[in-house]
Amino acid sequence: MTHDRNTDADAWVDALLDDVASAPVPKPSQDLMARVLADATAKLPPPGGRAEVASLWHEFVAGIGGWFGVGGVLAAGFTGLVIGLGAIDPSDVDTLFSLGFFENYDSQSGLSTFGWDLEEERL
Amino acid sequence: MPFDDQTDADDSALLARYARGDAAAARALTARLVPRVHTQAFRMLGDATEAEDVAQDAMMRLWRVAPEWRSGEARVTTWLYRVVANLCTDRLRKRPRGNVALDTVAEPPDPTPSVEARLQSNARASALRDALAALPERQRIAVMMRHFDGAANPEIADRLGVSTKAVESLTARGKKALAAALKGQASALGYKDERHDT
Repeated sequence: MTHDRNTDADAWVDALLDDVASAPVPKPSQDLMARVLADATAKLPPPGGRAEVASLWHEFVAGIGGWFGVGGVLAAGFTGLVIGLGAIDPSDVDTLFSLGFFENYDSQSGLSTFGWDLEEERL
Repeated sequence: MPFDDQTDADDSALLARYARGDAAAARALTARLVPRVHTQAFRMLGDATEAEDVAQDAMMRLWRVAPEWRSGEARVTTWLYRVVANLCTDRLRKRPRGNVALDTVAEPPDPTPSVEARLQSNARASALRDALAALPERQRIAVMMRHFDGAANPEIADRLGVSTKAVESLTARGKKALAAALKGQASALGYKDERHDT
């Protein structure tokens, strides 16, 4: 290869590149060739090419029994939603209170629960 | 069985055959590409063991990418050239700078060079490697293709997918950057720098 060293201000860099390029290079060992070929064999796709990889969605559909399974899951979900919404009467904003949580609450027993009233009597 | 008995098939066609499960294509590609890849890695790293590791790593990446390879988008050799250059650059950047020991460099086939000559040769190679590793990727590859492979500018342009003018610019800027990185080292490396030594 030739370089126009007379017009190149950094001619010594060209010389350095050429000297390094002309240094002897060892041949690849037979061991390397064997290792590379072993890798190639390990990664060799099946005859005809790699089978198409199924998507996660297709795997999910297949996992729940196909499209009939998907229909069943959707129907069950919809039914649950209807039942859940029907349990609360939208005209009655006090629905939660009507469930009876507060009927059993005694404010006095709540105040004496930890013996605070006894302590106050001593004072 | 010979390693490469598919001499009439191009690399891209062989890779497509490998992707379809053809073991003969794997043998042909190995015989054809490993020596090139290994030579490039050795020139960049100056260490035979590391060059073999890089060559194996680069070829492994080729086997992995084979099923998705789109022929016509890039040449196999150009793709590999970039992979090897980047793998070597990563290794060079992790190395302590400029300390290639004499025993890490492969023995040249000719035993006549003196110890001094070998030290000089190693020092040159080591300095150049450090400077090359600091170049931007395209400049580094253009300079290496030009000087290490002896490729002409139109060939480099074809391999990199750029114009010949762009290759001229890349190599010129690359060498300017090398000169700047190696500034003041010409005498120590046994060269005469007309601009800085006079």
